[in-house]
Amino acid sequence: MSRILREERHGRTFLLTPNLAKGQRVYNEELVVREGAEYRTWDPFRSKLAAAILKGLPDDMVREGDRVLYLGTSTGTTPSHVSDIVGDGGLVIGVEFAPRVAREFVEKVARQRKNVIPYIVDARDPSKYNVSRVDVVYCDIAQPDQTEIALANCAAMLEPGGRLLLVVKSRSIDVLKEPERVFREERAKLESAGFRVVAATDLGPFEKDHAMIYAKSGGRG
Amino acid sequence: MANPMASQAPQGDAKSLQDLREKSILAAEETIRKASSRPDLHLVQAIQALDDSDKFLNITATRAAEWYGLHFPELAQMVQDNVALCRLVLAAGKRDGFNAELLQGRGLTEKKIEAILTAKERSKGGELSDADLARVRSLSSLAVELSGEREKLNEYVESAMHRIAPNVCEVAGATIGARLMAKAGGLDRLATLPASTIQILGAEKALFRALRTGARPPKHGILFQHEAVHAAPKWQRGKIARTIANKVAIAARVDYYRGSEEASIKAGLDKRLESIREKYKEPPPRQPERRERPQQRRDRPRDRRQKYRRR
Repeated sequence: MSRILREERHGRTFLLTPNLAKGQRVYNEELVVREGAEYRTWDPFRSKLAAAILKGLPDDMVREGDRVLYLGTSTGTTPSHVSDIVGDGGLVIGVEFAPRVAREFVEKVARQRKNVIPYIVDARDPSKYNVSRVDVVYCDIAQPDQTEIALANCAAMLEPGGRLLLVVKSRSIDVLKEPERVFREERAKLESAGFRVVAATDLGPFEKDHAMIYAKSGGRG
Repeated sequence: MANPMASQAPQGDAKSLQDLREKSILAAEETIRKASSRPDLHLVQAIQALDDSDKFLNITATRAAEWYGLHFPELAQMVQDNVALCRLVLAAGKRDGFNAELLQGRGLTEKKIEAILTAKERSKGGELSDADLARVRSLSSLAVELSGEREKLNEYVESAMHRIAPNVCEVAGATIGARLMAKAGGLDRLATLPASTIQILGAEKALFRALRTGARPPKHGILFQHEAVHAAPKWQRGKIARTIANKVAIAARVDYYRGSEEASIKAGLDKRLESIREKYKEPPPRQPERRERPQQRRDRPRDRRQKYRRR
């Protein structure tokens, strides 16, 4: 079952995740108590995974106990919520290339959460962090060949039948192409690599010219 | 670099997983520490601080001069430089405080000093209370202090550029070289950029507009600030900017990968600039007005059609 809580307030839907690091905030989000447990509000304008869920993608793309390879953690906003969702039995392998933002990720997320392992390395070289097979690969990196990088990581670490969450940053791939065309092309790349696209959505108005593709790898499952 | 932890399989073993995590965090922190001690990052911060303080200095000094102008409007006519005016306000206080002695030794001509003293007698300015003066003065002192800090930052950028990137400094000048480095994200990045990119660093908006609409692409970004570019006649600027960008690209690579001075870069630049100035002395003949719009990139319209078809 999903660990994500949904609430309706002022006619809008809010997402909450159970706080794994009690009493601590990562990016000044609101902490609330529900049925005796502490939850953190999950801001869709700052986290593309939250945006995707609000845009109708399933809640259970990341599940309790999952091992997740997270490419492009940045300062750790979304990874902290992924860490909440997978819980103590899960694992988040967080990869970020830029030292400046990785500093915050290490301080505020990796140090505080026992299920997070940080790596400041290039995601083009999975051998540097290939410490475990994973159930989910989450990829949010601003590179023209982001899809190829994601696929290479899936090939190295994703279990057969595992899930891929790909944030398609159309402006990073080609500033001139229509975003929708970029989305179609990247989706086709996944399909020809043996992935089955379960669902996909544009992330507007939360994030401009971005889409999220949810796919499952071939093999079993 | 091989990762010593890469081969361990932590699955199912909570303790070894925590060991791995602990090691990973330490390794990550070491990477961060190393990355944060690069001297070019300090240079990038300094040039940005310099540009910030320029802006803030301008705003503050202008405001102080404007405010003091209510009391002594004639002064601004005679002292054009707002920071110099702020220094005077600091020294003199109210209009009555101006006298010959105070005005001496500030780089003002005898004529100017006389003019100020005459203007003071029949100024059209209004009254200034002590409370007003206190604020204007303190604002002026802020401006004066800022201009001092700006100078120090400038010196720092100069000397840091000489130390970190002597060749870029020689070719582009210290501040422009530092700005290019800031835009690129460090000397390492600048050293890997193609010259064509360096040429238009800082003109991203114009570049993307050109790519989208088929308008003419920019000829120069930050490099426009280079004297050889902005002082040149319009028709030479593109060629000159391109030449400087070429040499900056080479200089950045020498600085980053070899780290020694290379006099031939600057010499080559000067020679090439000379020949551009010689060869393109006269403006090109006027082109007949082009009637057609330059051809658009095909991406957009085609995409739109597809969009409509699908529905």
